[in-house]
Amino acid sequence: MNIRWYHLALWTAFIVGMFFLPQLVSKGTLRTIIFANYLAIFAISWDVLSGRTGYVSFGHPFLIGLGAYTTAILTKRFDVPVEISIPAAVLVTMVGGSLLFLPALRVRGSYFALVTLAFMELMYQLVQVIRPDLTGGTRGMSGIQTLTRGAVNGYYLSFGLIASLGFGMWLLMKTRLGTALSAIGMNEEAVRGSGLNTTKLKLAAFMLSAFVAGLGGAFYVHYLGSIAPRALFDINFVFTIIVAAILGGASTIIGPIFGAFFLTFLLEYLRPYLPGAERYFIYGGIALVLYMFEPKGLHHVLQMALSAIKGKSRS
Amino acid sequence: MSVKKITLAALMGSALAATSAYADIKVGFIGSLSSDTGLSTLRGAEMAIDEINAKGGILGEKVVLVKADTGEDVTEGVKAYEYLAETEEVDFVISGSIDDVSLAWLPRMIEYQIPTLDTWTSYVGIIDMVVEDPDAMAPYFMNIASDEALATLYINFGKDVLKDRMGWDSVVILAEDTAFGGAITGLVTDALAPVADIEVKDIITYDVGTVDFAPLFSKAQASGADFIYQISTVNSQVISSQYVKLQVPLAMTGVNVGAMGMEFWEDTGGAGGGISTLSPVPSVGFDMDPVSADFVKAYQARYTSRPMVPHFNGFNAYHGVKQALAAAEEAGGFGDVKAWSAAMEKQDLTLEKDGKLWLRYAYWGKDEVEPVTQRTYPHNGRFDLEAPYDTAQPSMVVVQWKEDGSVGVVYPFEYANTEYTLPSWVKE
Repeated sequence: MNIRWYHLALWTAFIVGMFFLPQLVSKGTLRTIIFANYLAIFAISWDVLSGRTGYVSFGHPFLIGLGAYTTAILTKRFDVPVEISIPAAVLVTMVGGSLLFLPALRVRGSYFALVTLAFMELMYQLVQVIRPDLTGGTRGMSGIQTLTRGAVNGYYLSFGLIASLGFGMWLLMKTRLGTALSAIGMNEEAVRGSGLNTTKLKLAAFMLSAFVAGLGGAFYVHYLGSIAPRALFDINFVFTIIVAAILGGASTIIGPIFGAFFLTFLLEYLRPYLPGAERYFIYGGIALVLYMFEPKGLHHVLQMALSAIKGKSRS
Repeated sequence: MSVKKITLAALMGSALAATSAYADIKVGFIGSLSSDTGLSTLRGAEMAIDEINAKGGILGEKVVLVKADTGEDVTEGVKAYEYLAETEEVDFVISGSIDDVSLAWLPRMIEYQIPTLDTWTSYVGIIDMVVEDPDAMAPYFMNIASDEALATLYINFGKDVLKDRMGWDSVVILAEDTAFGGAITGLVTDALAPVADIEVKDIITYDVGTVDFAPLFSKAQASGADFIYQISTVNSQVISSQYVKLQVPLAMTGVNVGAMGMEFWEDTGGAGGGISTLSPVPSVGFDMDPVSADFVKAYQARYTSRPMVPHFNGFNAYHGVKQALAAAEEAGGFGDVKAWSAAMEKQDLTLEKDGKLWLRYAYWGKDEVEPVTQRTYPHNGRFDLEAPYDTAQPSMVVVQWKEDGSVGVVYPFEYANTEYTLPSWVKE
């Protein structure tokens, strides 16, 4: 594992800083951070699979939705306690992840992306048609049990999730597994040629991705207290996740966290000045410029800044 | 940091604090800032607030309005409500949200307990939530008749006009693939068919992005039905104009949100004749009472962009905000939600036309049973489902656009100012 002391110091600083944040910022800002945290979880989930292996998924809402709908239905319709419904939701999502994995055995590149998109569209149609008495049909469900009340509690829950999932995935990607997954993204044939079982490795990436998506989706719906197919199985939702991961820095785990915070805060801070759709033009413009001039993302910008500071202090 | 910078920061801080001190009663708008319906609610609220401020505000305070756009997106709806509650710390929320967006922010309203008035959402499931949990839902009011009430009266139109007058026995439903489309399709198949004795021959669902309706109209025609029931809330002008241009030889009625606005004729390029739609009141083509007419006049003098005439929810917002603020005045503010809710329940504004009750902005009592549907509608805007509509206005009217670009109400007969007619290319 290529872990340096300053990596751990930065993680510690991040966790300690986030822990004391509610003492320093308004509740409105905390609400924004909560959404940023959940977007970061979804972006990490996408990054573990697509950022590493190069299998670009447009169907991540399929996985997030599976987790969200499973726990929502279990708690709302069958009074199952969340202690059971959330693990069940994660399991169901991992089964869904294995379904998503099947096309990866045969296709890759843009074909794989399109197949995953079809999964999302299929899910969108299914929840509206199959047992709308359970799923709430096109309108979705409201009044789903929430786990926390108030901005501070919601913040600590989402922070706990992003800290544990983010750190856990970052550690895991520092192992040989992470290196092998990155290698698949560079040249899958070469990895296979070196004697590694790429099918098993890819399955591991899909399972990990599904685990994070399922857990994030389940907690997300218990934060929102409502769920609607139009909110989850939506192309804009996919793009937000992908843009967060790429803008922050794909294949880095930390990058998607940066990207999610950047996107969420940009949109929310523009709200008082541009309450209408105009803020999305600015958001799109900034994302485009950033991506054009720094395709490796914000993570790389920060790395360069740190190197520059180090260089200055040495000289 | 230099002394100058510290002084400047302190001065800016004081200025901000002073600004917020004036904004004692804060009303938050939640809805789409890019749709005619969202803008109708926003503008209705703006006009009501300006009128109240011109009279000195309420409880000695000035009323200010802040906006949070939902873009008709469900998750944005939650963020927008949180923004209004936590960042703007509003006292009251006026909503022009569509159904699933309202459902998304409802858990936040329950959590924050901020008095909230919905002017567009008509989902009866929300009224059911008021029935089930009146304490948690105490801050919630909806001053449009719920969809169940809309559908109930529409069934009468089906029976009185489509069946008895036009002699039609069967229908084909042409519904967009949205939450609203699914819900209304269910209501039509469950109620229109058995009550009005009209057989549903086929249900055709289409994607909201559909640009070519010719194959769908052909399928509808092939079903052998006597008329088309369309359900369209998104890009309604597309299906309407193609219906006219293709001269589809079947009458088409139903729900067409585009046809509820005065811009419909312009949006369809003059190809909207013959289209009819149910609409909450006051609709386009609706005869106005003097108060509503004055509101429209003032609206048109103030706003020069579309919608040139506010949709029904603009009227709802205009009167609803005034009533909410009057209730706050009675309850000593918005702080005591139960007291405000009780005061809001008592709000009652009757508008007359030629000595007859024409519109009423009031709410159903908690235990009051509506005689036709035999159920309660607490915190729902009052409506009347039976002629002669002497306790409130009907829950909806059916309006029809004529081929000369005029529009009028065709049902209920007590509110009608024109007759339901077939387009010239449709044979009886």
